[in-house]
Amino acid sequence: MTSIASQAQAETATPLPGLAEGLTDAEVMLRVKVGDESAFEYLVQKYRRAMVNFMYRMSHNAAVSEDLAQEVFLRVYRSRSSYEASAKFTTWLYRVATNLAMNHARDTRQERPENMVSLDEPNTETGTTMDVADGSLTAEEALVRRERLAAIRNKVQALPERQRMAVIMHKYQQMDYRQIADVLKLSESATKSLLFRAYETLRQQLKDFI
Amino acid sequence: MKCNQIRELLPDLAAGLNAVTPETQEHIRACPACAGKLEDIRKTMALLDEWQALEPSPYFDVRLQARLREEAAQLRAGWLHRIRIPALALALSMMIAVGVGLFRGDRSKVPPVRPVALEKLEPGTAVGDLQALDKNHELYADFDVLDDLEVQQDVTANP
Ligand SMILES: [Zn+2]
Repeated sequence: MTSIASQAQAETATPLPGLAEGLTDAEVMLRVKVGDESAFEYLVQKYRRAMVNFMYRMSHNAAVSEDLAQEVFLRVYRSRSSYEASAKFTTWLYRVATNLAMNHARDTRQERPENMVSLDEPNTETGTTMDVADGSLTAEEALVRRERLAAIRNKVQALPERQRMAVIMHKYQQMDYRQIADVLKLSESATKSLLFRAYETLRQQLKDFI
Repeated sequence: MKCNQIRELLPDLAAGLNAVTPETQEHIRACPACAGKLEDIRKTMALLDEWQALEPSPYFDVRLQARLREEAAQLRAGWLHRIRIPALALALSMMIAVGVGLFRGDRSKVPPVRPVALEKLEPGTAVGDLQALDKNHELYADFDVLDDLEVQQDVTANP
């Protein structure tokens, strides 16, 4: 929790007056509940990057990830009146996010081509690839790097759904197994073994790159 | 502690997310198998770092605001619709009553009727809300154009 909060705090450009100091997210959310619009804005600023990135790693599509992240905040806003401070705000936020991401994955499973992981890499519209921006690499190095990145994305994507969500939350959202257990409504020991198995699978499947 | 208990702690240890207890530390020092596993997980995590984060686009907030406003407008329209139907029905029946009175030629009992300014559109009216919704649709069309621009930006911005 502290790590997500501090990570998110660091990217809050302008903390809203009177809000940032001393309030937990749950307390801020209770202010949203009673109609404080600036409190909602504060939470959006604090967690938008985390939400966009969570959705990006779940959907592998930049445009979709923004839509889904916005949908998370819309749902938070819609259900503000039913928010109970007993639920940790980030747990609640990530539950909304994981539900949306799972629904999106299920809705798009049929329309998705075999290898959806390469959706934006290289981009079919612009013909560009994501890591050509690094001018210090030779063409060969860039190719190797691109292959490695594609492998990482493919192997994460290929994990069973819960392992995938757990790894994304653990590796990229810096959540510990207690928080992940809360979000996924699993026991801590189930979450520990879920994560261990996921990293084991990734290690085996990515061994050529390690 | 047994090796399998230690191993399940390794992902959090490798990520630096939880403090290492002296007991765990001692086990890892004494057990090459667990130490090796910890090193494997560290290397795997370092590799996963290559998949870098995405910055939210500059339009994220504007679009979220637009979606919130659109939703508020829809809610308001729905609410107005519910109370306006009975109100319209009442107004209509009164107009019919007045019309019938006029038809009967019983002018003395008819109060002066002002024409209803239906085309006067103020915010908060059902017709005004519908116009606001239309404007939102136009706004959305603009955002679709921005989406296309953004995808290109993301492609170059994200390694
Ligand atoms: Zn051991």
